[in-house]
Amino acid sequence: MKTLSLTILVALLSAACSHVAPYERGKLAHPSMTSELQGAGEGHVYAVHEGATGGGSVAESGCGCN
Amino acid sequence: MLAAAGLAVGLASSLFARPAYGADDEGKKDEPSADAEKKPADEKNSDEKGNGKKRLEDATRKRASVETAGYIDTNNVAVLTPSVSASVENVTAGASLKGSYLVDVVSAASPDIVSTASRRWQEVRQAGSLGGAYKPHEFGVNAAASFSNEPDYLSYGGGGGISQDFDEKNWTLTLGFGYSKDTIGRHGTPLSVFSREVNRESIQGGAAWVVNPSTLASAALDLVFENGDQSKPYRYIPMFAPSVAAQAPLGASIDWVTANRQPERPLEQLPLSRRRAALSIRLAHRFDGSTLKLDERAYYDSWGLFASTSDVRWIFDVTRRFNIGPHARFHVQNAVSFWQRAYAEATAPRWNLPEFRTGDREMGPLWTATGGLGMALFVGGASEPSTWAVRLQVDGMYTSFLDDLYVTQRSGTITTLVLEAEL
Repeated sequence: MKTLSLTILVALLSAACSHVAPYERGKLAHPSMTSELQGAGEGHVYAVHEGATGGGSVAESGCGCN
Repeated sequence: MLAAAGLAVGLASSLFARPAYGADDEGKKDEPSADAEKKPADEKNSDEKGNGKKRLEDATRKRASVETAGYIDTNNVAVLTPSVSASVENVTAGASLKGSYLVDVVSAASPDIVSTASRRWQEVRQAGSLGGAYKPHEFGVNAAASFSNEPDYLSYGGGGGISQDFDEKNWTLTLGFGYSKDTIGRHGTPLSVFSREVNRESIQGGAAWVVNPSTLASAALDLVFENGDQSKPYRYIPMFAPSVAAQAPLGASIDWVTANRQPERPLEQLPLSRRRAALSIRLAHRFDGSTLKLDERAYYDSWGLFASTSDVRWIFDVTRRFNIGPHARFHVQNAVSFWQRAYAEATAPRWNLPEFRTGDREMGPLWTATGGLGMALFVGGASEPSTWAVRLQVDGMYTSFLDDLYVTQRSGTITTLVLEAEL
C-alpha cells in the first residue's frame, strides 16, 4: 500500500510542471477519462463498510447495514 | 423514472438555453471543447453541415441516468438502491444544474441484531440532492443542497465552493465548505419524543492538474468536524467480567456471549465530537485503447482510526461501442482507540462501565478486498455512440474482521446497472 502511494506521488510530482496546450488534450477528453465510474449505490456501500470517509457536504445518514 | 428525469431536464434546460457563439464567447471559439475533441474530424464536418444551425442556437447539454444497485452479503444484509439523476449544462455560458434522487431499501438480520432478540427488519431511506455551478471563465462558484430521510434518521445539508483555473486550465484549485445537520431517532419512536442532533462542518481544498497530454491528476484534502452524540440508540453492548473479557474468543458465537456476559447490557456510547481528515489522490491515464484510473485515500480521525483505501479501474476499448475492464479495491484500517472485542465492567458493589463503548464492526480493525468487472455498451448514434450508454458493474467483496465478536468475515456482491442518456 505504501509502495503504491509513493509510486503515484513520485509520478505526479516528477511530471507536474509540464505545460500542455489545449489542442494537445484530445486524449484527456475521452469519456472514460472524465466520467465518474462509481455509482451512487456502490458508493454508499463503500461508505457504510469502510470506517473512513472523504467527508464533504453531501448528507450522510444512518447506514442501516449493521 | 427515466420519464421523470427527462421532464426535469426539459424544464431545467429552458433556463439554460443560450446562443452558443455570442459576443461574450469570442475567446472560446478556438478552444476545442471536450465534445469536439472526442469526435473524428469527418464526423464533425458532417455534423456541422447537417446540424450546424441547431448547434449554433443551443449549446445546452442535457443528461439523465437511471441506476439500480443491489447488494447482498453473508450476514443476511440485502440492499436495493434505485436512483435517478439529471443534469443540464450550457458549455459556453459555463452554467450547470444537477439533481439526483435515490431510495435505499435495506433488509437485514445481522448477528449482533439477532443477539438482542430482534427479528429481521426492513427499512427505506430516501436521499436527494440539487446543485448548481457557474464558471463563465477561469473563476467559478458552485452550491449544493441535499437531504436524507429514513424512519429513525434525518439529515439536511448544504455547501458551496469556488474554483480558479490557471495556466490555460493546466491547473485548477478548489475550495469548498459544507454543513449538515443530522437528527438521530429511534425506530418506532417519534423524533419529537426522542432525538439527538449531530452537526457536521466540512472544508475541502483541492488541486487538479494536467500532467501530460495523456494524464490527469488531482489531490484533495477533506477536513470534517462532527459534534453531537452519534451513538446508535438501538445498539446494546454485551459486558463481561474482566477475567471473562480477556478470554473472549475471536468471533465468539451468540451462544457463547449469552452464556458468559453480565446481565447488564448498556447502550453504545461514542465520544461527542469527531475530527476527520482524508487526503485523496487520483490519477487517470489514457493509453492507446484503454484508460487506467488510480485512487488512493489516506484517512485519520480523532478517534484514532487510520485507514488506507486504494481503488484501481482499467477500461479497455474493445470496439467503439463496447468497453470492459477490471476493478480492484483494497481497504485496511485499525480500530478506534476505545475499541474492545469484549468490554469489561467492574462488578458489584461498584458498577463501572467503560466511558466509551461500541459494537460497530466498522470501527474495529478490518480489511476488505473488492474485485470485479465493469462494462459499457454505447448505443447512441453513429457520430457519438456514447450519448446513450448501458453500464454494468459486478463486484465481489470480502471483509476480514480482525478483533470482533460474532463474525470474523463477510462476503458480499454489488451489482450496478446504469442507463445513461444525453437528450
